[in-house]
Amino acid sequence: MVTHSRQPSADDPRVLLDQEIGVFEPVPPYPPRTEREAEFYTLGDGEMFVNMGPQHPSTHGVLRIVLKLNGEQVVDLDPVLGYLHRGVEKICENSDYHHIVNQLDPLEYISSLFMEWPYVQAAEKLLDLEVPRRAEYIRVLSGELNRIASHALFMGWFALDLGGLTPILWSFIERDEIVEMLGALTGARMLFNYFRIGGVNGDLNHEFMSRLGSWMSRAATQIEANTKLLNENEIFVRRARGLGRMDREMALRMCVTGPNLRATGVPFDVRRAHPYSIYPELDFDVPTRTEGDSLARYLLRVDEVKQSLRIIDQCLHQMPDGPIMARIPRLIRPRPGRAYGAVESPRGQYTMYMISDGTDQPFRLRIHDPSFVHLGSVGRLVPGNLVADTMAIMASLDPVMGGVDK
Amino acid sequence: MALTPDAPGAPGGAAPGDVTAGASGQAGTMPVAMPADSSRALTEAIVVPNSLWTSANPIAYNGGRPAEITHLREWAQTEDARRDNARWGALEVIPTKADYVLDLIRANSLWPLLSGLACCAIEMMSAATSKNDMDRWGMFPFRASPRQADVLIVAGTLTTKMSGPLLRLWEQMPEPKWCVAMGDCTVSGGRYKRSYSTVEGIDRIMPVDVYVPGCPPRPEGLIFGMMKLQQLVKDRRGHWPERMVGPNVPDGV
Ligand code: SF4
Repeated sequence: MVTHSRQPSADDPRVLLDQEIGVFEPVPPYPPRTEREAEFYTLGDGEMFVNMGPQHPSTHGVLRIVLKLNGEQVVDLDPVLGYLHRGVEKICENSDYHHIVNQLDPLEYISSLFMEWPYVQAAEKLLDLEVPRRAEYIRVLSGELNRIASHALFMGWFALDLGGLTPILWSFIERDEIVEMLGALTGARMLFNYFRIGGVNGDLNHEFMSRLGSWMSRAATQIEANTKLLNENEIFVRRARGLGRMDREMALRMCVTGPNLRATGVPFDVRRAHPYSIYPELDFDVPTRTEGDSLARYLLRVDEVKQSLRIIDQCLHQMPDGPIMARIPRLIRPRPGRAYGAVESPRGQYTMYMISDGTDQPFRLRIHDPSFVHLGSVGRLVPGNLVADTMAIMASLDPVMGGVDK
Repeated sequence: MALTPDAPGAPGGAAPGDVTAGASGQAGTMPVAMPADSSRALTEAIVVPNSLWTSANPIAYNGGRPAEITHLREWAQTEDARRDNARWGALEVIPTKADYVLDLIRANSLWPLLSGLACCAIEMMSAATSKNDMDRWGMFPFRASPRQADVLIVAGTLTTKMSGPLLRLWEQMPEPKWCVAMGDCTVSGGRYKRSYSTVEGIDRIMPVDVYVPGCPPRPEGLIFGMMKLQQLVKDRRGHWPERMVGPNVPDGV
């Protein structure tokens, strides 16, 4: 008779308690599995490994990068992902369609609305649903506000990773102001859970509008003042210029999207290239830059903030009356089929691909996050630079680890 | 001084008021001049004579005589040091009456570790920056190294892959340390309770002092939790031995 003794699984955290805590080895404990691994984990003359992360003050989450250094120069690097893998795609396959919106929020914890948006878009395509115009306007309005909050945080973080502490204090003022405003609209400060399949959760209310009004009256000058802190700082400009230069070819080959792509001179913006929602009716520019370095990526985001302010202004002037939700049942069973939703987020093109099998839960939900793609290009941008520039280049790409590991 | 028996002059350092005795650069003069024999200088104790003040009590401070014990290493040779019954359990601290005072200082200068795991970290940073300025309650300098930190604010989802490194961070922090679980994910698993890759609450792997629920908690919530922690540090003054060192969750849960 075979008796099965209960072995603790390797994933059981209680196993860790019995392990001795020694030196955190950068080299994995198993023999190399690929040629690339074998090549990377062989040290050349005068080279050494340095572990960066998973706890590092500026990795924007939990990311481990094994750096191969020669002196202070990075020769090669190997990112180790998965420290924040929460199994969201699997949870989504077991949630009903309305609950999924809530599960998607924490993936993109800086601008949550942009993670909900492609999902509701895909679900509406499956259901052939007409979204009321007022709901679309509210989506665009709140989305652009969220974009500004995200870019404000980016400016602070980028400066922080270059060694400047002041800008983050300023950018968090703007960010807190905007999320408080969105909190009045949606009920939460960070994980909004606001978009619904067929509309939005709540109508514009008095507190939101009064906060928005007082913020809009000073937003342009305030943002101007905040960016002056960096734009006219010679140390910052000299340090960021030419750092991590990505050319057009490389950006296109690596499937980079969003501001990082536009900083290389490609005017690709999902809002214009594949228009969705009410963006075709709105008047805004797609700013581009040609240098493709960290400074260009930063300046491009500053330009985008100005365009977002324009969009918000137009939304407020054109806001129609009407319902904010389409009439849909509590339990939805879309027809079997596939749908695809894509939006332009502050980070790039967020995409969701959904397969429905006719039940109340999706058969498969594939989440595509641009942060993951951008992180892939770090391996091309960083080697040759100094260690201190690693974080600066990473910060200029603006990844969010929640979406990278899902 | 006993470590350098060939030291010139009176053993045990200079007597109070004896300012001319150490003109040759021996220990006891102030300032300590760089002596010619540098190998000896490293082992010599630096004794600064008290030339400013004398006690009214004639027998206080050894009656003005130099102390017999001038060096910790010398003290380590004595009987007192070997009679060390002050180690309590697994804690590497010596609980004394001084902790009553030190804990007041600790409570008002909590240095958190700058370690964010996921979404909650953004709100933690928001709590530390301009609008909600935690600095006002003495919890500011976010340290980047665990060796300089007092409080581990676990902000964000703890996955099984990350639990090893997090435990390591906790072990690396020097002993008077506290842990704050921020967010539903770290309190109980929260919205990832049914996920295959997360730890359902960090109290499965480390002791937690304060739980701050919410997904995410508002920055004010975190500040409230930290103020509770301050209160708790003060309440537990002198009760080090009773403190939990391992996971809070009983076996089999
Ligand atoms: S509690 Fe909520 S906000 Fe905090 S880490 Fe978990 S999912 Fe994110």
